[in-house]
Amino acid sequence: MMETTKITKTSSSVQWSKLFRSYGTVIAGILIIIMFSVLNPGSFATLDNAINISRQISFLVIIGIGATIVMSVSEFDLSIGAMASLGGVIAAKIIASGGPLWIAFVVPVLVALIIGFINGWIVTQFRVLSFITTLAMSTVLGGFTFWLTGGATIFENIPDSFRYIGQKSLGSIPMLSIVMLLVTILFWYVMTQTAFGRRLYAIGGNESASRIAGLRVKWNKNAAFALGAALAALTGVLMASRLGSAHPTAGNGLFLQAYAAAYLGMTSFKEGVPNIWGTFVGAAIIGVLANGLTIMEVPTFMQDVITGVIVIAAVIMQRLGRNAQ
Amino acid sequence: MSLLEVKQLDKRFGLHHALSQISLSIEAGKVLGLVGENGAGKSTFIKIITGVYAPDGGSIYWNGQLETITSPRDAHRLGIHVLHQDRHLIPAFSGYENLYLGTDIPQVKFGLRIRWHEMKRRAEALKKELGMELDLDKTAEEMSPPERTLLELMRVMMQDCKLLILDEPTASLTDQETEILFRLIQQLTAQGTAILYVSHRMEEIFKLSDHIAVFRNGKNAGTLQREEANLNKVISMMTDTDYQAAATHERQDASMNPVLLSVNQLSTVDGRVKPSSLQVHAGEVVGIFGLAGAGRTELLEAIYGTRSIQEGEVVISGKSHRRMSPQKALEAGMVFIPEDRRSEGLVMGMTIRENMTLPRLQHFSSGLYVKQRKEKHAVRQWMENMNVKAVGSEQTVSELSGGNQQKVVFAKALMHEPILFLCDEATQAVDVMTREEIHRLLREQANQNRGVLYVTSDIHEILDVCDRIYVLREGSIVSEIAGGEATSEQLLQICYNR
Repeated sequence: MMETTKITKTSSSVQWSKLFRSYGTVIAGILIIIMFSVLNPGSFATLDNAINISRQISFLVIIGIGATIVMSVSEFDLSIGAMASLGGVIAAKIIASGGPLWIAFVVPVLVALIIGFINGWIVTQFRVLSFITTLAMSTVLGGFTFWLTGGATIFENIPDSFRYIGQKSLGSIPMLSIVMLLVTILFWYVMTQTAFGRRLYAIGGNESASRIAGLRVKWNKNAAFALGAALAALTGVLMASRLGSAHPTAGNGLFLQAYAAAYLGMTSFKEGVPNIWGTFVGAAIIGVLANGLTIMEVPTFMQDVITGVIVIAAVIMQRLGRNAQ
Repeated sequence: MSLLEVKQLDKRFGLHHALSQISLSIEAGKVLGLVGENGAGKSTFIKIITGVYAPDGGSIYWNGQLETITSPRDAHRLGIHVLHQDRHLIPAFSGYENLYLGTDIPQVKFGLRIRWHEMKRRAEALKKELGMELDLDKTAEEMSPPERTLLELMRVMMQDCKLLILDEPTASLTDQETEILFRLIQQLTAQGTAILYVSHRMEEIFKLSDHIAVFRNGKNAGTLQREEANLNKVISMMTDTDYQAAATHERQDASMNPVLLSVNQLSTVDGRVKPSSLQVHAGEVVGIFGLAGAGRTELLEAIYGTRSIQEGEVVISGKSHRRMSPQKALEAGMVFIPEDRRSEGLVMGMTIRENMTLPRLQHFSSGLYVKQRKEKHAVRQWMENMNVKAVGSEQTVSELSGGNQQKVVFAKALMHEPILFLCDEATQAVDVMTREEIHRLLREQANQNRGVLYVTSDIHEILDVCDRIYVLREGSIVSEIAGGEATSEQLLQICYNR
């Protein structure tokens, strides 16, 4: 018989606090939805708007998952915004010069894999802070993107076929929403069900212990950077497909939001750990806020203020919950 | 009247009685040498009189007055200062700036501007008074280790220092620099400052001290006058002469068995390990003993491949490796139980299951996914074998007690079915029961023709557990003794003889 001591639940308040810590962000999200539904029953709480939101958040979810993977090894990639911009520009360049559709999708992702790997290599080989490395890489990529475009938006000679994924729907579900769900499920699987995902979390949790356990720390970290960059580039391509054009700074704004989503996500499900469904929920909350506040005609700058305050509040709540433990 | 007198000082850490009934006194203008083997309570004692730890019992008198020292600030107020082994300097600050850390910096009214001129003048005056040569314009990181020691010493002297505590101050100094330090110490004592001098280097203790206090197992084993002290006397006081190696422990003469691990002239790039050779036979528990800083952990790390090898080779089961890595080590069947399970042994935020299977995840993976059912089954089996007390395999390891955490570390290693164990302080901060279990387990493994290389700073443990003991001094293996014949006095003699 295995010697296990069952910890008896001392009180229901302990369970409630644990429930709140794990699902507090989800509950807050639901409350926000209820609030908007009550305030704008005619325009917010409709199926059309729900579908609309699912398309609006797709970019943020995908790039946020990229950020989450890098965060799982306790690193940061600040170049994902610039990477998304570059990805969109490369795709638009290829398609505008008559290249086949699949090449326009695959090449940006491959380029990003290489750039992400270089980021990882610099960080792991020379022990440079990922903060600095990827900040510099962001500047490099931004410069490169401007050189490719001359600073102008690419919109000429973009065939309709390129816009298919970004603009069309399958039945009433937007293609973008489907891609978002597929990416989320795929990376939930990779991060939680495979040995690779387990190793990433182990390295993020304790690098020395992982090294002693025989994990190839450098290789795995490089792979995390590569995947993060690849998802950023994919986001950029999807944005270009949605807009039918590629602007050299189109993705830059997503970078901060991606980390906001990932941090909101860390407060849900697996507490304190970056996780894929958490990031999904985080991105959804940010998306719902943007959507609901726009419907209520709150000016954009005010929306930014509210979103920022909510992220800070969520992180503080999580800290408090932890300390109370 | 003594400057500092402590009576019946007591300190516990959980079950561990770090200090019990310590009484001693320090006189103004005198040097008290403090010696004791690793873990005898010297550091704990220093931390209590400098306000880092609060004692659980006993009293501290300062100039005959009862005092409570609850913070390092309190200690500074009284005039108690420490010169640390790890120096507390700000690398990018100049000598002058570092000198004024923690003291009032001369400033223009309202702190509008620092009076640099005044700052330098005072520092130069002190330098002259102490007869030191030191360029204070250099930043701390530009200074050599001994220069930094001098700087720290100067900083202490800037403040009104009544009692100066020196903890292994000469560890990084050359003989010449040591001379300078000694001269300064004599100057300080002439001015009435009391010195508490803690060192493993006996000749320094004998040279400097007026009195020598000997700690043993958290107790004060006695205070000697310098005239009545000699090396043999001090060492016999440090070791528990009443102590007898547990006769019940079985021992192996495995010298005829095949060699599992052979380390030949191994040295590390950072120079912490100087060319060292050792062998572990099948069926043997081999100990490595040395004082703090002798390079015990570093040697194990070099063998396991987490510290870069300069020269030499590691031969495991006849296969030679000139470059090691944890992957190679594990592949060859060698596991490492690191000293600090929190920072190196476990991923604290992960579950018992996730921790145990980490080194051999590929074994539980079908390529596409981890077979969690198989994983859970194996983990439960090992939890049962190792008697891990937990809610279940899904409990986070940070929630376990120290002893149970260490069992998880061992289960993780055993799951790998290793032929060689490298254990670094494997019983540190675990309860007595777990400690016994670990000893028994390692002996069982040895009896199955596996090899164990066992590092511990606990002299009694090493005598109890090991069949053969290598003694490490300043990065080199200097001696090899059969475990059954060795005594603690003998081991310490080797460690202290320079």
